[in-house]
Amino acid sequence: MGNQFVKKPKVTDVDRAILALKTQRRKLSQYQRKLDAVIEAEKQAARDLIREKKKDRALLALKKKKAQEELLKKVDSWLINVEQQLADIELASKQKDVFDSLKAGSNALKAIQNELNIEDVQKLMDDTAEAKAYQDEINAILGDKLSAEDEEEVLAEFENLETQLIEDDLPEVPTAASIYTDEKLDLPVVPTTAADVEVAANSTKKGTYPFLLFS
Amino acid sequence: MQKLGEFKLPHFFNYPPYFTLQPVRDTREKQVQLWKDLILDYCRTQKVFVIGLEEEFPLFSNPVIGRSLTHEAREAFLSALVADGRAEWMDKGHRKCLILWHRIQEWAEILVQFARDNGLEDGVVTMEEIRFGTESQGTELQGIDRTILNRALKILEQKGKLVVFKGTSTDDEGVKFSL
Repeated sequence: MGNQFVKKPKVTDVDRAILALKTQRRKLSQYQRKLDAVIEAEKQAARDLIREKKKDRALLALKKKKAQEELLKKVDSWLINVEQQLADIELASKQKDVFDSLKAGSNALKAIQNELNIEDVQKLMDDTAEAKAYQDEINAILGDKLSAEDEEEVLAEFENLETQLIEDDLPEVPTAASIYTDEKLDLPVVPTTAADVEVAANSTKKGTYPFLLFS
Repeated sequence: MQKLGEFKLPHFFNYPPYFTLQPVRDTREKQVQLWKDLILDYCRTQKVFVIGLEEEFPLFSNPVIGRSLTHEAREAFLSALVADGRAEWMDKGHRKCLILWHRIQEWAEILVQFARDNGLEDGVVTMEEIRFGTESQGTELQGIDRTILNRALKILEQKGKLVVFKGTSTDDEGVKFSL
């Protein structure tokens, strides 16, 4: 483990400021505890002195206690100030980080845009349009040549193809004789009298006649 | 089960033979192992970092059975811990022993975890804060011995994970993390 190229974190002035504030915070806390102890002691002393009927001394102890309590209030507010400033430093440092990264992003964008010259883009688009127009012209010329020479041939071929297709599509037309000889029509017997109808109805029940005609 | 404050003492603590350094090798090995575990356990739970051989260490004597470990015995058990890498002699005369119920490397890892848990990856804290601050209340770091903390910090400094610095002369020593 003798890596000399390990990156050591840099200590900035901001870090030193934070360290100083945190040290102060600790010292103030310590002072608070000390004042608490003194206040408690003076309270106890005053109690004892009253018990011993030493009124003046008791009053003195109480006055001292009051003074310490005032001091404690001040220390409390200093402590709040220190905490506030620590919070402010943290916030400011984060804001700077955000600003720095936004700036870096903006710079990167500008650099990229610098490489992309608007005039170059315009020239590129013009060149492309020119090339396309040239191509269209060639197509037009070639196109004309074709239709002048081959249009008649193409048209003739087209008509041939059309008539061929029409012939293939027409259905078979049956001859007159085939209508009557191909099928034998099987018509059912039509009953005429009532008796016949009954016979027909009965036989229908057996299923021989598919339908019944009543006259 | 006898107790030392909140600490439950193991049964063997009440048997006189265990307070006498056993001559037979196998018995001695077992005895040493038991005492090693007891010492480490006790130090871990009671946050004891340094044992002075000549001082009144609660584990070294049991008034209930009227037995005490001799100086030789104390040195034997602590030397066994040193051999295990779980302790270090702080002086040549073997009078003070630094107990490492966490090895220094483990303390370093605990520090890194502490920084991560509290969002201090590139923050500044004072050494006192690490030892007694609000963030370390209830963690292993609370009340950690200064020597051990310095050693752990040095390891991390070599790895470039932090830097120890001081602002003005009235400042506490500070640590700037760079995780």
